[in-house]
Amino acid sequence: MIGALRLFTYLIVAIMLLPIVVTGMIAFTSVDTVVFPPPGYSLKWVGGVLSDDHLRIAILRSLGLAVLAAVLAITVGLPCCFLVERVLHRGRVTAETVITAPRMVPEIVFVLALLIFFEKIRIAETLTGLLISHLLICAPFAFRTLAASVSALDRRLEWSSDILGATPTRRFLLVVMPQMKTALISALVFAFILSFNNVTMALLLSAVGERTLPVEMFTRMHVGGMNPVVPAISLMLALIGGILFIVLDRTVGAFSHLSGRA
Amino acid sequence: MTAIVERPLPLHRRIPLFRLVAAIAGGISLIPMLVLLACFFLLPLLYMVRMSLLPDRALAMVAALLEPLSLHQYATLLVDGFFYEMVANSLRVGGTTVVIALAAAYPVAWYLIRVAGSWERTLVSAACMLPLFVNLVVTVFGWNVLLLPFGALQKLLSALGWVDGPIYWARTFWGLSIVLAYETVPFAILILAASIQTIRVDKLNAARILGAGNMRIFLTIVVPLTMPGIVASAILVFSLAISSYLIPTLIAGTKVVVLPLEIFSYITEFLDWPAASAMAILLLVLVFALTWVFTMVAGRLSRRGKWVMV
Repeated sequence: MIGALRLFTYLIVAIMLLPIVVTGMIAFTSVDTVVFPPPGYSLKWVGGVLSDDHLRIAILRSLGLAVLAAVLAITVGLPCCFLVERVLHRGRVTAETVITAPRMVPEIVFVLALLIFFEKIRIAETLTGLLISHLLICAPFAFRTLAASVSALDRRLEWSSDILGATPTRRFLLVVMPQMKTALISALVFAFILSFNNVTMALLLSAVGERTLPVEMFTRMHVGGMNPVVPAISLMLALIGGILFIVLDRTVGAFSHLSGRA
Repeated sequence: MTAIVERPLPLHRRIPLFRLVAAIAGGISLIPMLVLLACFFLLPLLYMVRMSLLPDRALAMVAALLEPLSLHQYATLLVDGFFYEMVANSLRVGGTTVVIALAAAYPVAWYLIRVAGSWERTLVSAACMLPLFVNLVVTVFGWNVLLLPFGALQKLLSALGWVDGPIYWARTFWGLSIVLAYETVPFAILILAASIQTIRVDKLNAARILGAGNMRIFLTIVVPLTMPGIVASAILVFSLAISSYLIPTLIAGTKVVVLPLEIFSYITEFLDWPAASAMAILLLVLVFALTWVFTMVAGRLSRRGKWVMV
């Protein structure tokens, strides 16, 4: 029974890795076109990712946007967690539903609504608009991850510190924050990943000259300008993503974190 | 002798006003989130509803709010045979994706719970969570290499002597469903794993002692107990699948026209926002209605399971 289960699981693992494996093979091609299997192997495309100007700028733009969106998502989300978990008793479920509502609307519907609204208030195709759209994806997610951790806090430690005369600021920084360390790290990292990988929002809301990395890749694939630099950057992203997950799983327990609050 | 030193009360205890200020500050801290949601979630959705009630796309650019309301867009869509064909396509793709994704995810989730805590769990889950950690374009590129005519899979199968000539999987219904299932399987695994985790081993052991076979245990104990997880993951996978437009664009092209594909081309090619808005709202209604129906039906079905399990 367990043997059959293991066999099936490894079959699925193989299928999950298959697209990355063929991408990786093309990334090491020696020719200038995307062909499978590559006629010869070389390191020129993988080594040349950062010398592609458009790609490099797109990577930096995506990184900056994702860091900003993740930090803002935590800043906006964390106070709400305390309020919802501790102050609101009756309206808790309602408040949680309202805050996580953007995640329930299909992406294409949400992005269209944002597009026509941004056109109306004239922030379409600006980085501000793009940042707001990414924040709308990250903030509800950060809220959910952090809210679970706030409700799991040991209140007795806070009462003790209160009795011992700590001010609210000290209590927050020295008693509450250390308990929430893992939740904060995983919320930050997952919010970053959500923003960094988002194609849907960025495709319609970013300006032509200010593409994020996924949009740049999409454009090269779908519109034109395809060369083996796309599989090369894909392979790197896949490796970084895989390593990031493994590190997170061994340190803060990424899988259990995600499966508790998916 | 040690003197007992009387420590002064902290500031926020001595002055009641300070507590009031703290309470107000707590309330203020909720404001950024509320402003964000009100201004950039609720307002855009309402504006889109208003947009869908315009009779003509030329009006979208000018003072749209002042125009009289019209159901023209909905009337045009609801008598259009092509619209129903798209809805049918979307539903078929969504349904097939749910079946494939859940069939793949359930055993994997079960296995991951069995090997909890080990390095094997970490590595297997890393492979299965890959679509969450890598942007969509990366994996879709790989799938295109695999599925296109003269692609990797066809070359492999030809080398084995199983097929002869090009295969046309990429531009088909099944190709699309498989790639959608690939992208949504991590979500299904996560939800199912959370649900399977709650099954107590005693129950399975009790059933085994009473002489139940594996199949019987699975159907009468495991499935009813994980029904909430199955329903939740099916709803999530379904709504992700029928609202995705990148995967249909990159995999199936115009061979399998689904609703988001048409919405997308109304936005980018025809610049017809009122029509796109009307379609988007119908899609939203469809997703919500199906979610509601599915939850109801599943609730009915699992009631028997609940009674048995008490």
